Amino acid sequence: MKKALRDLGVTLLILVLSFCANLMLQHLLGTAVHSVSVSILGVFLTSLYTNGYLWGVLSTLANVFIVNFSFTEPFFAFDFITPSNLAAAFVMLIIAFMTSMFTTKLKYQEKNRAEADREKMRANLLRAISHDLRTPLTTIYGSTSTIIDNYDALSREKQLKLLDEVRSDSQWLIRMVENLLSVTRIDGNPLGIVKSPVVLEELVDAVLQKFHSRCPNQWVVVDIPDEFITVDCDIILLEQVLVNLLENAVFHAKGMDALTLRAKFHQKQVTIAIIDNGCGLSKELLSNPFDGIHVATQPLTDGSRNNMGIGLSVCSTIIRAHGSKLGARNRPEGGAEFYFTLTAEDSENEQ
Amino acid sequence: MSNNKYKILLIEDEQNIQSLIEAILTTNGYQVVLSENCQTGMRLFSSHQPDLVILDLGLPDMDGLEFLKFARQEHTTPILVLSARTNEIDKVTSLDMGANDYVTKPFGTAELLARVRAALRTSRQNSAAQIPGAKFVLQDLTIDYDKRIVSVSGEDIHLTQTEFNILAFLSEHAGKVLTYSTIIRSIWGATDSGSIKKLQVNMANIRKKCGTKPGDNRYIINELGVGYRMRTDDELI
Repeated sequence: MKKALRDLGVTLLILVLSFCANLMLQHLLGTAVHSVSVSILGVFLTSLYTNGYLWGVLSTLANVFIVNFSFTEPFFAFDFITPSNLAAAFVMLIIAFMTSMFTTKLKYQEKNRAEADREKMRANLLRAISHDLRTPLTTIYGSTSTIIDNYDALSREKQLKLLDEVRSDSQWLIRMVENLLSVTRIDGNPLGIVKSPVVLEELVDAVLQKFHSRCPNQWVVVDIPDEFITVDCDIILLEQVLVNLLENAVFHAKGMDALTLRAKFHQKQVTIAIIDNGCGLSKELLSNPFDGIHVATQPLTDGSRNNMGIGLSVCSTIIRAHGSKLGARNRPEGGAEFYFTLTAEDSENEQ
Repeated sequence: MSNNKYKILLIEDEQNIQSLIEAILTTNGYQVVLSENCQTGMRLFSSHQPDLVILDLGLPDMDGLEFLKFARQEHTTPILVLSARTNEIDKVTSLDMGANDYVTKPFGTAELLARVRAALRTSRQNSAAQIPGAKFVLQDLTIDYDKRIVSVSGEDIHLTQTEFNILAFLSEHAGKVLTYSTIIRSIWGATDSGSIKKLQVNMANIRKKCGTKPGDNRYIINELGVGYRMRTDDELI
């Protein structure tokens, strides 16, 4: 309903504007030859800025009558009998109608392309994930079967070693499933993500708690402003982004000894960055870090589990759903930095 | 066998999780009563009078929230909700309906045990503040309810009235997650749209005055989007 009203408004406005333009041109130039082209421009704009065919067609019909009434001989009277007027009206109707069809189709295609992009990303993710799920599942299934079948034959140490692998692989699976859930959380909600204000300091605290319970040996330097800052976001998703980025650094930034979480507040925007001083990002990763393809195409050379692509593409999807962009760069002093900016609010103490 | 073990009623329909939790609890010295659905759970709750209930929300016969309603009619037995849902609204609903705490699947052994200990402790001493001269001690934080003094490592901390009230309220329910609306109702009475922010600002001040840093929050846990929880000394994580 609201949409229809808006479209009606746009149509009428353009109609009035093109009519005025016609009047003015006629007054200035003393002829009305331009009236058809100006009207077609009006129809074109109407189709461009309204939804569906309806408004373009209506505007076409209105224009045919207006032109016939005001800008063709006899002026200020309808005349569909004179052959030249009839022909002009007919041609105009066809041109305007086709323009309207064309612009609508263009818009439709654009929407389709965005949809296809999302679909492609989802397919990439799915491929990467199903490829990666097999390895830990094999370990878990194999190790536990081995222990059950050879319970008495296996030494205690061997059993513990196998069980330890089962544990670390299931932890990896948990992380993966959390990422998948995040994606469905975005995709599943037709209205997009649900934002609510979260206190930056509390967010960082919760992220670090979670991170420390998983990577107890990695200390994180925290550099956030002292002010009371709230960020508008989907809390669970943003928490996931930060934990993902911190864990990525631990798993992939070789040679890292300092990991920093930094937030800078500037003009109602907060920029959050995860900075490490490890080996940095490879060229191909830098060129397109967030599409999730790397995992599937790159063989696992060092035997370590590689979920970097998936984690990053999930992060990127989440940040994009917040209307921002996840950036990645190598720092000149060495190491990688991931950063994004969100709208934020600071406030004075109100008590 | 000894009868002084804590008795825990576990209501969970998934076999694997049931035997896992039972194994964790029995090896740590708790007595476990099992139920696979809500109905049986209610009956066992009445006949066994457990010290703690671990409740799964997704049960075959009815929503786990029904059990919460049933149990809260006349009992204050701590209830730990087990949930696969990461939805804050579900958490808030179950907490507002009387659950003490929630654990999200998948959980670690240590995490579950810490929550169990914390919940049991809550029931032991949730009326501590009413006893004259009672003090709350958590690591190096001490709250003297009578003198209205809070100190960290022996040094007094100057809190405003509101800040003290919030801290005292959280400590009276240490180990229990208190939702934003619960805290606001207890401190200011009515809830309005700006009050969550008011609460968050006060919490920020409390953290600043107690000298806790993000990631090293020793006393109060932020349950993002849900509320706050004062830790207990029983928690190791």
